[in-house]
Amino acid sequence: MSDHVGYTKPLPTVTHEDREFWAAAREHRFVLPKCQACGHVWFPPYASCPACLSFDRGWTEASGRGTVWGFTIMRQPYIPTFEPELPYNVVLVELEEGPMVYSNLVGIDNDAIACGLPVEAEFEDATDEITLIKFRPV
Amino acid sequence: MSDREFAGKTAIVGIGGSDFAGLYRTPDPERTGESLATEAIAAAIADAGLEKSQIDGLITGGLPHYEPVAYRTGLTDVRFVVDYPQAGRMCAMALMHAATAVHHGLADYVVLFNSVVFRTQGTKFGAQPQGLLYDTIYGMASPGAQYSMGFTRYQAEYGGTEEQLGAIPVAIRSHARMTPGAIMQQEMTINDYLASRYIAEPLRLFDYCLVNDGAVAYVVTTAERARDLAHPPVLIAGTAGRANFREWYVDLGFWDEACRSMKADLFDPLGVTTEDIDCLQVYDNFSVSVLWGLEGFGFAPKGQGLEWVQNGRIALGGELPINTSGGMLSESYLQGWNQHAEAVRQLRGQADKRQVPDCDWSLYWCLSALPGASLLCRDGLL
Repeated sequence: MSDHVGYTKPLPTVTHEDREFWAAAREHRFVLPKCQACGHVWFPPYASCPACLSFDRGWTEASGRGTVWGFTIMRQPYIPTFEPELPYNVVLVELEEGPMVYSNLVGIDNDAIACGLPVEAEFEDATDEITLIKFRPV
Repeated sequence: MSDREFAGKTAIVGIGGSDFAGLYRTPDPERTGESLATEAIAAAIADAGLEKSQIDGLITGGLPHYEPVAYRTGLTDVRFVVDYPQAGRMCAMALMHAATAVHHGLADYVVLFNSVVFRTQGTKFGAQPQGLLYDTIYGMASPGAQYSMGFTRYQAEYGGTEEQLGAIPVAIRSHARMTPGAIMQQEMTINDYLASRYIAEPLRLFDYCLVNDGAVAYVVTTAERARDLAHPPVLIAGTAGRANFREWYVDLGFWDEACRSMKADLFDPLGVTTEDIDCLQVYDNFSVSVLWGLEGFGFAPKGQGLEWVQNGRIALGGELPINTSGGMLSESYLQGWNQHAEAVRQLRGQADKRQVPDCDWSLYWCLSALPGASLLCRDGLL
């Protein structure tokens, strides 16, 4: 859905800890690390469980549903490649599974964004390698 | 550390700092972090009435390494050294460390400082390489944006307006204008506040602290030794911390639990209550940090902090003056260190026209990824 050519905004530095997360996103699947020892689900995808410190990490499919905990409308050009989009929103979404994620809301005017808004994930292919997970109101 | 036995056994006996406003007006790349630290250390030792040779403990903050300052200050008999990383949140932790060190005899006189050259280094607090939560791929940049998200949430839960929030920076600015060396000397009205541009809406430029160069140092020793020194001792009644490490930085409960826990650590062993506190010298990285601390520590009823700060209540002459030298919003971004220096001046009765009458107790908090707090008081109260 987005232009694959010339994506200039920041991209994640894929590491050994989150390689599987980004590989799944590329297939338009939203997965979260899940502890095989205690069942805890966490984010970002550290290699070990922050609840019980087990390294026995599996993955679970996220529902993609969540609610907006808080939001801000960025007005300052901190990141040069985001400057043309000012003012743009950033939201902190509380996922149904528990973890909190930053993202952008699409399909809504900035002044209509509200805390508590139910949202669902959608996939935005930034490059051939990286697909970003964004959210839109349900 | 806040038990009854420890409370008041240690003291801040010397304070020193650089000329914040002068360096802001005329940035000077030759005033390095080491140079500023050396100036602050010399001033703090002189303020305490000590000889440099008596300093046997060193806690450094803000610089990459302790050694350049240790050599420049010619410390030759040091028994205790700690090197804190650059981070605004460390002041209460460093004070905790210094107090426990002298209390347990690891050193007799600890000098501790924070030295920053954010302005000449062109430090950007916006875009980190990636952030802890893939921040930058979503354009999420700066701690201010995180506090801004917290404020939208706070407003959704409790209401309140941006104009009400403006009472905090406006009051703090009025204090800076009474403080020699404070950077922001221009009057700020609520209309000036509302006219300032949004940075991360709903937070504005004037909700944000300054970015500047400078250093502040203290000398800490035991209360017993303190009583033989130049000034009336300012006792460390307690220090506390309570971190709940989360990648999104702003606590989902606006740090209520952290504040309650630190308050219990600091107040309960001493029977101190919010009524006893004469002034607050708190970490005002963003105006909302002050708001949440007021509610968390129980000065303002939960959800009513914005109403509570209106009508001069937090300005000098009001019920509870906050950041009487201008804090980080208007005096200097020395990350809690200028606040403690002002607390010392207030508790010594040296705050000149800013003096809070009969100032016995001053409280500090820092609501950040690593919350910390401290309680200072005049001698004779513990």
